[in-house]
Amino acid sequence: MSYSNDDLARLVEPNRLHRSIYTDAEIFELEMERIWGKAWIFIGHESQVPNPGDFYTTNINHRIPVMMTRDRQGEVHVLHNRCAHKGAKLVDTPCGNARAFRCCYHGWTFNTDGSLLKIPNEGGYDNTGFDLKDPMNNIQKVAQHETYRGFVFATLDPDAPDLQTWMGGALDCFDNLCDRAPEGEVEAAGGVLRYEHDCNWKLFLENLNDTMHPMVTHQSVVQAAEDYIATLPEDAVAQRAEAEIIPPFGASFEVFENTGITGFKYGHHYDGGKTSIHADYTVQPAYRDAMVAAYGEERTREIFSFNTHNTLYYPSLTIKSAVQNLRIVRPIAVNKCIVETWSFRLKGAPEEMLQRTLLYSRLINSSASMVGPDDLEAYMRIQEGLQSTGDDWVEMCRQYGADQDMGDRIVGGGTSDLDMRTQYTAWKNYMTESYAHGETA
Amino acid sequence: MNDVQKIEQFLYDEADLLDNPDLDSWINLYTEDGTYWMPVLEDQADPINHISIFYDDRVMMEVRRRNFVHPRAASKDHKVRSSHIIGNVRLNGVNDNGDLVVTSNFQALVFYRSEQRAFGGKYEHHLVADGDSYKIRHKKVSLINCDAPQKSLTIYL
Repeated sequence: MSYSNDDLARLVEPNRLHRSIYTDAEIFELEMERIWGKAWIFIGHESQVPNPGDFYTTNINHRIPVMMTRDRQGEVHVLHNRCAHKGAKLVDTPCGNARAFRCCYHGWTFNTDGSLLKIPNEGGYDNTGFDLKDPMNNIQKVAQHETYRGFVFATLDPDAPDLQTWMGGALDCFDNLCDRAPEGEVEAAGGVLRYEHDCNWKLFLENLNDTMHPMVTHQSVVQAAEDYIATLPEDAVAQRAEAEIIPPFGASFEVFENTGITGFKYGHHYDGGKTSIHADYTVQPAYRDAMVAAYGEERTREIFSFNTHNTLYYPSLTIKSAVQNLRIVRPIAVNKCIVETWSFRLKGAPEEMLQRTLLYSRLINSSASMVGPDDLEAYMRIQEGLQSTGDDWVEMCRQYGADQDMGDRIVGGGTSDLDMRTQYTAWKNYMTESYAHGETA
Repeated sequence: MNDVQKIEQFLYDEADLLDNPDLDSWINLYTEDGTYWMPVLEDQADPINHISIFYDDRVMMEVRRRNFVHPRAASKDHKVRSSHIIGNVRLNGVNDNGDLVVTSNFQALVFYRSEQRAFGGKYEHHLVADGDSYKIRHKKVSLINCDAPQKSLTIYL
């Protein structure tokens, strides 16, 4: 079928969702155009292209290839990864350094800012109306790109609001991530893990602040860790410290309830604020000293007291400010996506802080971890279960009616479905093209 | 049996415990400070300052073997079956710890969640003599597709 905006609007009710949004390939294609083609999508971090000529390639949605480059003057660009001549992908390696980009087919060559440098045998174009100086013969820039504290976002929509307006109050979590560095800056470090998910991309996002699942889905690993800890002698401090990373994932309903959830226009949300399941991780003394030296006691306390668990920047990115890692979801098809996990070094902090981040990423987010596969198992079963015709609807009723509208944000209980309602309000607005008409959530 | 044959036999026995699978016995092949590493890069220098697919010490092995048989681990509802083949076993001298360094090639078919997957690459074992046999101080599993997106891996390879 072909969906009208009214048809699409009917798929999202205030407290329930139609199953076709997870299973219909046509809706997936519309999402790629109307959500992923309009929203600010996370591209990468400037520290991935530190030197002139450095490049990093990715896709902005399920198929459009783009690259982040740093030109000779040091400026960062986000360009379509397409030769201006026949359309071949110009760069087919994940990252590297180039003096210029030369197409493998006819040798058209471009500067790292995207401008055309030269083409071979140009005489053949004399008097054909073809103009080498025509800007369409440059590598085309993605409609807009902006950087916030080193994090590079781009959008295919020339009319999208500026990045900071779009992020709204969720900006605080980026600030907190960077402020946790004594030098106030982070840099990408320690590589990336790519985890293939046989499920719709939205199921991964919905899990981030779904605080009703950990004590069920992760019960086994929490119990395995606790059983092991119980066998340890009192003085096994190192073993205890390592195993104790896991039990917070089985925190009680009450603990999660108290973290609260905060939602924003455009679908962003986080759980935590005053506290989160990461709040009790020990602050290493040398790191604390570096922070106090940089910011003073009071500001340091303030930075550490802002504790969030996951912050979603809908639709592509989720960050853990307190742990310094982030995950990116890359949709592939209606029932397939890839989740990337990246880690960040806090500039000016002891190197052990990066090692802690990497340990965390590996234990929680790796395809071979004891947490990620149980989450993915649930997403895959939803993907399979929603083929059932027994019921066309999925509910999101928890604490419905209790969400408090604070003007620039909506706040609610930590175990509420506020996160679901927030992202699906945005989904509906993007999909029915309501943001473009100025009607906002 | 000469040393190479003894070592080959030991590697086969280890693979057998993974194929069974019997993690409770497998873990006993490792020294108390033993580690299991599966890098995500072809030329990854170390498991500490870069992310890895696996890097388990005794603590994580102990948690993992308990989780592996836990009735509430949904990802383990689908039993995993594997079949390892090990070849090209070579002795590469002794490292700074005095451990024997043994390299080999491996291929493992893994059946999980209605799907058969093929893994292949190199093993590097650091072995310590233990009576008539050995213990593993370190095992490095270098997959040929280490940097490709991976699906859930619920058992060691």
